[in-house]
Amino acid sequence: MIEQRFKCPNCEEIATFYGNPGETKVVTCAACHMKGRLTISGEKQDDAVAIEVSHLKKVYGDLIAVNDISFAVKKGEIFAFLGPNGAGKTTTVEMIESIRTPTAGSIKLLGKDVKTQFNDVKEKIGILPQEFHSFERLTVRETLVYFLNLFKKKADVDEIITSLDLTSHKNMLYKNLSGGLKQRVGVAISLVNDPEIIFLDEPTTGLDPKARREVWGVIAELRKKGKTVFLTTHYMEEAEFLADHIAVIFKGKIIAEGTLEDLIRTYGQSSVMHIKKCVNAPEVIEMLKQEGYDEISSEGNGDIAIKIDYKERVLDILSHLRHDCIEYESLDIRRSNLEEVFLRLTGSKLTEDTA
Amino acid sequence: MNLKIIWMDFVYSVKAWYRSKGGMFWSLAFPVILILLFGAIFSGIGSSKYTIYIQDQDQTEMSMMFNATLNATKLFNINIVKADVNVTEFIKEKNIKSLIVIPAGFQQTIQESHTNPSARVDLQFYFDPSEQTTTQVIRSVISSILQEMNKNLSQSRTIIGVREISTITENFNFIDFFLPGMIGFTIMQGAIYGSIERNTKYRKDGILRKLLTTPITRTEWILAKMLFMMFLAALTTALITIIGILVFGMTVNITAWVIIVIIATSFLFSGMGMLIGRFVKEEETADTAAGAISFPMMFLAGTFFPLEQMPGFLQTIAHVLPLYYVNEALRNSMIYLNQNESLINGAVVIIFAAVFFISGVLLTKWKED
Ligand SMILES: Nc1ncnc2c1ncn2[C@@H]1O[C@H](COP(=O)(O)OP(=O)(O)OP(=O)(O)O)[C@@H](O)[C@H]1O
Ligand SMILES: [Mg+2]
Repeated sequence: MIEQRFKCPNCEEIATFYGNPGETKVVTCAACHMKGRLTISGEKQDDAVAIEVSHLKKVYGDLIAVNDISFAVKKGEIFAFLGPNGAGKTTTVEMIESIRTPTAGSIKLLGKDVKTQFNDVKEKIGILPQEFHSFERLTVRETLVYFLNLFKKKADVDEIITSLDLTSHKNMLYKNLSGGLKQRVGVAISLVNDPEIIFLDEPTTGLDPKARREVWGVIAELRKKGKTVFLTTHYMEEAEFLADHIAVIFKGKIIAEGTLEDLIRTYGQSSVMHIKKCVNAPEVIEMLKQEGYDEISSEGNGDIAIKIDYKERVLDILSHLRHDCIEYESLDIRRSNLEEVFLRLTGSKLTEDTA
Repeated sequence: MNLKIIWMDFVYSVKAWYRSKGGMFWSLAFPVILILLFGAIFSGIGSSKYTIYIQDQDQTEMSMMFNATLNATKLFNINIVKADVNVTEFIKEKNIKSLIVIPAGFQQTIQESHTNPSARVDLQFYFDPSEQTTTQVIRSVISSILQEMNKNLSQSRTIIGVREISTITENFNFIDFFLPGMIGFTIMQGAIYGSIERNTKYRKDGILRKLLTTPITRTEWILAKMLFMMFLAALTTALITIIGILVFGMTVNITAWVIIVIIATSFLFSGMGMLIGRFVKEEETADTAAGAISFPMMFLAGTFFPLEQMPGFLQTIAHVLPLYYVNEALRNSMIYLNQNESLINGAVVIIFAAVFFISGVLLTKWKED
């Protein structure tokens, strides 16, 4: 007999069931009474969960900042919490970090209840608060040593400095660093106790594209080292680039969750082929419609967009264009992205400034 | 409690402070500049008027006439001392340089002198022998006035005389008054602004949130910061005292009690800073609020100028200001060697410190809402 946890697909309640590996049983969710069939997989899942949040809620006066959300973060993955300004990202991470007290719900970090056993996990987590600014008049190295000395578990500061490419700045005062470097030092600080879970709250907001890429590189390295990263962001490229698992939060609710592929498959459109400045566009549209392409849109300026259901159709369209000697300026195929998923789900754009 | 963490945090605070030009300026350079400046200004200007205290125990036409004559010379600032005040204690307490007592029966004796040839009354002139010029001036003025009066009363003999009583007050001047005030004021500023920075800027910058997720406890952190405040206070006190001794030749008395009062002062104003930061969350606004509180307090608490020179209602206000008690405790202990006064005022400082510090610690927190 082994124990296994499952998340109810209906109400997201997490429940524990017992059985033999491989056994399939019919169970009822204790919270919503939905019946379902499940198979005990046999791998010990409990060990694989780093963060487990269930029915988490935070109310500020009339505002429900976080509205009954549940999710789990697996060990070793980069989990992106993606949402626009004011969605409830910081409120959620800071409840997980025990900085704010939830109105309701429970949080487990590495199996420990945050409400009562947070001190037991302090040595195992590293956090970078949103818009973090460290002590102005300590150097980069001193800053790291300062925070290092607060912990029992100590990583090698010089190794962190090397791996985050801070060597040439290590003797600079924190206040004199550029924004990108400050954020990198912020990430470095969160690593001084060699934590298992790292929380990064909008680590790249306000950085220029180059600095942002550098921070991304640092975060991607963390995954290689087997760390679990909880990342909040409102940049969809960031989630696309880094995350193994994405939860989209909007107005305090998780409105979609899964891998990037999952999200695009479920909520996105298929790929779209764009033909720019096509010479006799109306004829081309007519021709393609006869060939059975029904989802075609055109701007009236010669630009045509055609939905591609499966990839063979690309060649098909191209050969038609060639056969009829159609002239056009350019052509590209775009895959659906998170921005579109978000637009679909909420009817609004995620960000104005997507760098 | 982890003493290593406390010490480590303290060492880093000192390091960061040492690199901050502003911190260095306000805790070291500023008080020194002010001491040198005020010391020079106030020792250079000799007063053209002499301050004299008069106690009129007679309260008659004659005694008033004497007062009026003295006043008419326009040489004196005349202060009246109430008839029931014990002058010896008054002189000691207020450090009075010259005081004249017109004894009861002044007028009566003068009137009797027409019939009684042995009638004689003596004014008492208390003077400070160290104030030679002042005493000399007052002495000669009094004697010429009395000479005139005696001549009018009798051609031949002295009816109104003077009995001179030398008082052993020490010779204190402005810098003696100013130095303890400057120490109290500098410690107050350092503690209030430091505390505000930690409770507003560090909160906004996420440092407090970060610390909350590390093993350091708030107690350890607060103790480390208080250790740093005491280091600053010690440095300030030492520097100001050395300047006082070397430049102004002062005698400054640093006792264990002085150190206790200084420590209590650090706690008091750190607590006040916490409270300001608790209610005014934005750093710049909180700094402004701190200025709005500490600057008027500095003047009203008799830091730079003796309270006696201020109108009565302002003197009443002084008695509710914590800095007033700090000033009085330090001055009486360091300069006037009046330990009893210092103990009473110092006890008030300790009570204020307990109230402000404890409520500061209880009302502020690291957690967010
Ligand atoms: N202490 C608070 N008191 C009242 N309302 C709050 C408080 N903290 C957050 N809120 C509100 O809760 C909502 C969620 O805020 P939160 O900071 O979690 O958003 P976010 O997703 O982190 O946004 P951002 O991208 O701007 O950081 C917002 O509407 C915010 O105004
Ligand atoms: Mg946020």
